[in-house]
Amino acid sequence: MAISDKDFELLRDFIYNLCGMYFHTTKKYFLESRLTKRMEATGTKSAMDYYGLLKSPRGGEELRFLLDEVTTNETYFFRCVPQLNAIETKFLPEIVEAKGKMGFRKLRIWSAASSSGEEAYTLAMILLEKRATILKDWIIEIIGTDINETVVAQAKEGIYNAYSVRNVPDLYKKKYFKEDAGKFILSPDVKKFVTFNKMNLYDDTKMVFMKSFDFIFCANVLIYFDLASKSKVVQHFYNNLQPYGYFFVGQSESLHGVNDKFKTVHFPGGFGYKK
Amino acid sequence: MDKQAMLETARQMVAKIDDLPTIPVVATQVLQLLDDPDVNVDKVADLMLTDQVMTARVMKMVNSPIYRPSQEITSLKRALVYLGIRHIKEIALTSSFISAFEDKGGVIDISTFWAHAFGVGMVSKIIAEKIRYADIEKAYLAGIVHDIGEVVLSYYQPETFSQILTTIKTRPVRLIDLEQEAFSTTHNEIGYCIAEKWNFPEAYREVILHHHTPREASSDPVLCAIVNLADLFCSVRDLYYGGNVWASFNLSEEEGWSILKEQHPNLAQLDIERFCYELDDAVPDVKELVASIFSKE
Repeated sequence: MAISDKDFELLRDFIYNLCGMYFHTTKKYFLESRLTKRMEATGTKSAMDYYGLLKSPRGGEELRFLLDEVTTNETYFFRCVPQLNAIETKFLPEIVEAKGKMGFRKLRIWSAASSSGEEAYTLAMILLEKRATILKDWIIEIIGTDINETVVAQAKEGIYNAYSVRNVPDLYKKKYFKEDAGKFILSPDVKKFVTFNKMNLYDDTKMVFMKSFDFIFCANVLIYFDLASKSKVVQHFYNNLQPYGYFFVGQSESLHGVNDKFKTVHFPGGFGYKK
Repeated sequence: MDKQAMLETARQMVAKIDDLPTIPVVATQVLQLLDDPDVNVDKVADLMLTDQVMTARVMKMVNSPIYRPSQEITSLKRALVYLGIRHIKEIALTSSFISAFEDKGGVIDISTFWAHAFGVGMVSKIIAEKIRYADIEKAYLAGIVHDIGEVVLSYYQPETFSQILTTIKTRPVRLIDLEQEAFSTTHNEIGYCIAEKWNFPEAYREVILHHHTPREASSDPVLCAIVNLADLFCSVRDLYYGGNVWASFNLSEEEGWSILKEQHPNLAQLDIERFCYELDDAVPDVKELVASIFSKE
C-alpha cells in the first residue's frame, strides 16, 4: 500500500522519536511493505489508523512487532559496507599504530548482538587479511554474545545459507568458505578467532566483566529498549571500551539523547561513536 | 609555509591566465537591479529573458526538488514570483558561475564539481538555518563558490592536478597538502585571487580563502565555519571529488564546530545523527538538480 509523503514523514518522526530508528526517504517503499503487513495483522485500514494505534496505550507492543518486521532477516555477512571500509582503511590502522607504540599487540572486538555470527565472522575475516601486514604477531580476540541460545548455537556451528553469504566478496568466499549442497561452511581458520556466549545486555554483573574492547558493535537491538535501559547499556559499552575505542550501532540507528560522552566520528557513508 | 608567499604565488598564477572566464553581463545587471528595494519583477524578467541560457537554467532550477513547486512552473515571471527576490539573486549568481566554467574541460568532471558545490551550498544553508545565521542566502552562495580555485587548477593545470587526484585515491593524504607540494599554493589562495578579480564581496573571498581554517577568518568566522562543516559533511557523502575513502572527521575536534558552538551554545543539543540521516536524504535532490542543469534538453 502506498502512503503519502506527509504520512510517511509523520510515521518516520514518530518511530524515530520513540526508538531512534530513522527511515531514509529511499526506504519508503520498504517501510510501506512492512507497514502493510502490520496493518493486515492489526486490521487497521490506513496509515493514519495505524499511526493512531502506535500512539495508543497498545502502541509500545505494536512497535516491537513493526521493528521485528523491519529488522528480521537483516543479518548477513558484510552487511554494513561503509562501516567495514572505514574500520579497515582508517580506524583499525589508527588503533594498531597507537597500541603498537605502547607495546600492546592484542585486539579485542565484541559483537554484542551477534545473532547467528555473521557480523563477528565478517570482522574476523577482515582482520585475517591483515595478518601478513599490520596485524602480524597480534593476538586477535573476537567475542559474540546474544540473548538467544538457538542463534548462539548456530553461530558456533558456522554453517550458512546462500542468503547469508550473498554479499561476501569472491576473494573471501573462496578463501574462507566451503560450499556443500547449497550450504556454506565457514573455515576453522576463521572460527578459531571467535567465541560465542549467551548473554543478556541487561545483566549488569556480566556486563562489567566485558573489558578492554577496541571495537564494540550492537546493531538493531537498542531500538527495542526504553531510554533508561538504553542509557544504562550504552554506558556499559562506553566503560567496556579502551580509551579511543569505537562503538557502532546499526546503519539507521541513532543514540541521540542517550549518552553524551561518546563523540560522533563521520566517515564515507555513515558515522560511529568514539570514546 | 608563509601564507603571504602562497597568496603571491597564486596571484602570479592567476595573472598568467589570459582566458580567465568572466561573469556574464546580464548577471551583474540583474544583481544591480535586485539591490533596488523597489525592484519590479517585470523588469527583472525582461532583463533575464535577454539571456536565453540563464532563463532556461532558472526554469530548470525552479522546477527541481530543491525548490519543490507543487506543479510545474512554465513561465519565467511566475518562476520569479514563486522564488521571491532573495532566491532570484541566488539563482542568477549560481547560473552565472556555471556559465563561466561550463564549456571548460578540466580534470574534475564538471557535474561532479557542481554536485559538490551545490551540496556544500545546500548543507551550508541547512546549518545556517539551524543556528539562525542572519543571511541564509549568503551561506548558500558562499558554499557554492568555496572551491572555485579547484576549477582553475583542474582546467589550467590539468597534468599536475590529475596526478594529484590519482594520488589521493591511493594513499591517505589531503588534497590541499598535495596542492601545496606541487604548486607552492592551494585552491584556497587561487580561488581568493579569482574572487578578487571578479569583485566578490569580502565575506565570500574570506570563505574561499579560509574554508579549511575558519579560525583564521577575521570578518565573518561564523560564515567560514558554516562552509567548513558543510564541506566536511559533503566529503563523507557522495558529493565529493572522486570519493576519498580516507575522508573522516571527529566533529568535536573540528574548529568550525567549536566556532559555531561558541556562538550558539544550544548547538550542543543538535541531533547530529538525525541531521546526518536527513543529509543522506537530500543527496539525491542535489544530484537531480545538477543533472537537470546540465541536461541538454
